[in-house]
Amino acid sequence: MARARAILTMTVMIGLQLVPLRAGADQARDQVQATVDQVLEVLSDPGLAGAQHTAARRAKIRTIVLGRFGFEEMAKRSLGATWYQRRPAEQKQFVDLFTDLLERSYISRIESYKGEKIVYPGESIQGDRAEVNSVILSHGDRSTIDYRLVRVDDGWEVYDLVIDGISLVNNYRMQFAHIIGQSGYDGLLTKMRAKQEAEEESDRDLAAPPVQ
Amino acid sequence: MNRVRLELTVGLFVLVGLACGAWLSLRLGSVSLPGRRGYSVSASFGSVEGLSEGTSVMIAGVRVGRIERIGLKDDRALVRLRIDRQVVLHDDAIASVRSRGLVGEKFVAISPGASPRTIPPGGLILDTEDAVNVEQLIAQFIHGRIQ
Repeated sequence: MARARAILTMTVMIGLQLVPLRAGADQARDQVQATVDQVLEVLSDPGLAGAQHTAARRAKIRTIVLGRFGFEEMAKRSLGATWYQRRPAEQKQFVDLFTDLLERSYISRIESYKGEKIVYPGESIQGDRAEVNSVILSHGDRSTIDYRLVRVDDGWEVYDLVIDGISLVNNYRMQFAHIIGQSGYDGLLTKMRAKQEAEEESDRDLAAPPVQ
Repeated sequence: MNRVRLELTVGLFVLVGLACGAWLSLRLGSVSLPGRRGYSVSASFGSVEGLSEGTSVMIAGVRVGRIERIGLKDDRALVRLRIDRQVVLHDDAIASVRSRGLVGEKFVAISPGASPRTIPPGGLILDTEDAVNVEQLIAQFIHGRIQ
C-alpha cells in the first residue's frame, strides 16, 4: 500500500513538473504562430496590396513584429562585447538603428510571401529559452525558419532567427566584429547610417508614382 | 671510471630520446595530460554530417579544444566538447559546424559571446548552427531549384 502511494506521489510529482514545461513550449509556438498569422493576414489583405500601400502595410507589419521580437536582445547579442562598453544612451541609439535595418530586411523578405504553406513541426524548451521550428513548403521546395525565444514577463520574445540553418545573430555578430576591428565602433555606426539612408531613398522611389 | 662515465652518458641520451618520443606522440595524437584537460560542455545540432570525434574546436581560428564525443539524443546530434581551461564561454555563445574550404574537414567554430552569464563546466551551448550540406547546394546549383 505504502509502495503504491509512493509510486502515485512520484507520478504526480513528475507529471506536475512536466506540465509547465510542455505548456511553456506550446505557448512559445502558439505565440510565434499567432504573430506569423497576423503578418500573413496583412500581406493577403487586398486593401493593403500594391506599391502605393507599401508605407501603410509596413507600418502594420512593424507594429505586429515589434510586439514579439526582442530587438534590444538581438542588438545586444549581435554587438557582443562592444555592447557592454557603451553607455545606455549609446546602446539605445544602436538598438534604434539596428531595429530599423533589421525590420527593412525582414519585412522585404516576408513581403515576397506568395501563399506558401507554413508548418510548425517542432519546438523545444530549455530553462528560460525556447526554439520553435517552422518549415515553408513551396512547390517541392523546402525552407526552414527556426525562432529562438527567451522568456519575458508576458510570454516569449524572439532573440534570433535561424533561416535555412544560418543564424541571424551570428551573421551580424561576425560582420559587426569585422567592421569594428577595421574602423571602430564609430565606423560601424557610419556604415549603418549610410545603409539606412540608402534604404530610405529606395523606399521613397518605391512610393513615388512612376514617371510617364 | 671512464667506462662508468660513458654508460651514464649513453643512459642520459636514451632517457632524453624517450622523453622526446613521448612528447612527440602526445603532441601528434592530440592527447591532453591530466590536469590540463580543461572542461566539457555540450551542444545539440540538427546535423553534424562530416564531423568526427577528436577534431578541433576553434574560436577566431585558434584551436581551443576538441570534440570528445558525438552521440544521438532525441533524433538530434549531441556533441560533447572539451574546452581549454582558460577559455570562458558566455551564455550567448553560438557553436557552428564549419568546414575548411568547400569540401574540407569539418570542425566546430564557437563565437564565445559576451553576456555576463557564463556557461559552467558540464553546461550546454544552447544556440547552434548545423553543418551546411554542400553536396545539396551543389546539386541544386547543377540541376536547378524546382520553382
